[in-house]
Amino acid sequence: MFEIFKNGNRLLGMNARNLDYIRPYNRKKAKRLADDKILSKRMLKKGGIPVPKLLAKIRTVEELESFDWFSLPNTFALKPNRGYGGGGILVVYGKKKTFKCVSPDGIETLPDPVWIKSDGSRVTVSDLKSHILNILDGAFSLANMPDIAFFEERLTLLKLFKPYSYKGIPDIRVIVFNRIPVMAMLRLPTKESGGKANLQQGGIGVGIDLASGVTTTAVLGKGKIIDYVPGTRMLLSGIKIPYWKDILLLAVKSQEISGMGFLGADVAIDRERGPVFLEINARPGLAIQVANLSGLKERLERIKGLKIKTAVRGVRVGRDLFGGEVEEEVEEISGRKVIGTIEKVKLIGKEGIEIEIEAKIDTGAMSTSIDSELAKNLGYGDVIDFFEKIEFPRDFKREDAGKVEVELKKNYAGKHPDLADISIVYSSSGVTIRPKIKMQFKLDEVEIITLVNVVDREELKYSMIIGKRNLGKFLIDVNK
Amino acid sequence: MENISPLIKYFIGQGVPLDTVILLLMLPIVVTLIAFFRQVIGIKAFGIYTPAIVTFAFLAVPQLRYGVLIFVVVILVGMLMRFALKGLRILYLPRVAITLSIIAFSILILLSFGGSMRRTGLAAVSIFPILIMITIVEKFVAAQIEKGNRAAVILAVETLVISLVGYFLASWPLLIKGIVAFPWLILITIPINIFLGKWDGLRLNEYFRFREVLKNLK
Repeated sequence: MFEIFKNGNRLLGMNARNLDYIRPYNRKKAKRLADDKILSKRMLKKGGIPVPKLLAKIRTVEELESFDWFSLPNTFALKPNRGYGGGGILVVYGKKKTFKCVSPDGIETLPDPVWIKSDGSRVTVSDLKSHILNILDGAFSLANMPDIAFFEERLTLLKLFKPYSYKGIPDIRVIVFNRIPVMAMLRLPTKESGGKANLQQGGIGVGIDLASGVTTTAVLGKGKIIDYVPGTRMLLSGIKIPYWKDILLLAVKSQEISGMGFLGADVAIDRERGPVFLEINARPGLAIQVANLSGLKERLERIKGLKIKTAVRGVRVGRDLFGGEVEEEVEEISGRKVIGTIEKVKLIGKEGIEIEIEAKIDTGAMSTSIDSELAKNLGYGDVIDFFEKIEFPRDFKREDAGKVEVELKKNYAGKHPDLADISIVYSSSGVTIRPKIKMQFKLDEVEIITLVNVVDREELKYSMIIGKRNLGKFLIDVNK
Repeated sequence: MENISPLIKYFIGQGVPLDTVILLLMLPIVVTLIAFFRQVIGIKAFGIYTPAIVTFAFLAVPQLRYGVLIFVVVILVGMLMRFALKGLRILYLPRVAITLSIIAFSILILLSFGGSMRRTGLAAVSIFPILIMITIVEKFVAAQIEKGNRAAVILAVETLVISLVGYFLASWPLLIKGIVAFPWLILITIPINIFLGKWDGLRLNEYFRFREVLKNLK
């Protein structure tokens, strides 16, 4: 019981967020900027941050009455300027085809355009009008203040995210404090959230490892831990977010521009434009802790008072402090490459023949061996034929193997230009006498020249195994 | 009353009714209770004004159950009106105005129905508590629009719970006696509120909200 309260100290609650972070670090003026989406967008754009294009804004009822509905494209998002929590956003995905009407006296009129929402329902001009009236009236703004409505370019969905998200565009929320990214999550829209990515509306939040940009754990809505996208077998962990470093950098830069010390930055990825900054949030929600199964408070306290000079440096500190082990880093420190248990290998045979295959990395084997068929394809058919004609002693005892091997080497090694050596190999399938040939191959960009033994591996899944002797320059990650 | 502080005696001497004195001195306790519920337990309700005013409305009705009945009817009708007015697509204030009107009619029907059932206590509820409870529907409608129906109903239930706790606290004879005897004790609520205002620990409901995270932290 006591343990729970002690651990509770590592989490950021509503009280601590408001009292210890928003109050002292986000001045009123900066907060007002964040709450004004049009203004903050303009500021960010000026600061060199890519933002969605503003199509039009409607400030008053008069502007609404005189608005040219034909000027709107087929797809757009309609938003309240001071909305919060994703409320009051209307997104259309296409325009219904409308036809010119010709009245009996020959006057052509074009009917008002009709758009389609994500759920297939129609949105007429009068629907838009009443929605905008509600926005102007302050129905979606903080404290019901009168508001402005604006139309904005709708971003296009990245192919990678397609199977994970329902209709809308996923975005990435990054909490930034003191120029350092502290925690991040991928927010996926669901059917329940009506294509919006906000967790309050029933979206999915997926925690992201700050160092690698790979997703970890996930939460549905306010607190349900899930592994898969509901109703599918799409695993939510292990998604690698593209442009990860750029996204973190955008988030930190937005903090510099906004003048707030503590904020939530929302970045989306457009299929054509890459990372696009959506909005800054002066009061970021706390559910990101559930998505990451990790506490914000302990992270924030660790970096309080650090002097970070540049955004790039802040990103690096954040990734180092709060990310898991980074592969690149491991490679940098150890000077060795990290590979998995199955890797693509490019074999270089005689006369420049190159064959690419998948090889098994086998730390249980001493040396590397390849299938005889593969060796033939690489141009070593001649030496294999030569080797097969040799008569070998049979049924020798294991104690004598060494002696037999020495004998064989003396008699045959070098007798054919390609036959570099002969070895007797004891393996799970019994004892075999194998020819060894000198060969060159490339594993993860590393060139290796070595002696490989040739054996019939037809029955086996991989036509090549790479043994310990050739793995000195690598670290093997069994999860890869 | 056996033990009356000279301060209270002075107020009474100046013509302030004892009930008024007690209610005014009870106010700091009730609002501190509401602040405690929000900051430490995490029960939000509709801000601080609504649960406080509902508490006093409950104190002003002759029987608590009628007060609760009126509260529930107000919220129920408010909920129904949202669906009834949905198709109309009208602006906020006119919508609240219509909702308030329909609630007023409903309460009138409720009171007369109570009379016909010979529940005279219901009809005897004075007008001010009734009006107070009708007007809280604006908070309810605003919450419906901003946060959705479910969240609004939860907030309404939270308001009811806090108001009931406030009611029982404010009508607790021992506390009333204590206030009458030692009115200065009320000043304790100020340091309590300063403490609450600086309290940055997790709220009780956040331990529940973050239970999965807490399980994961080692």
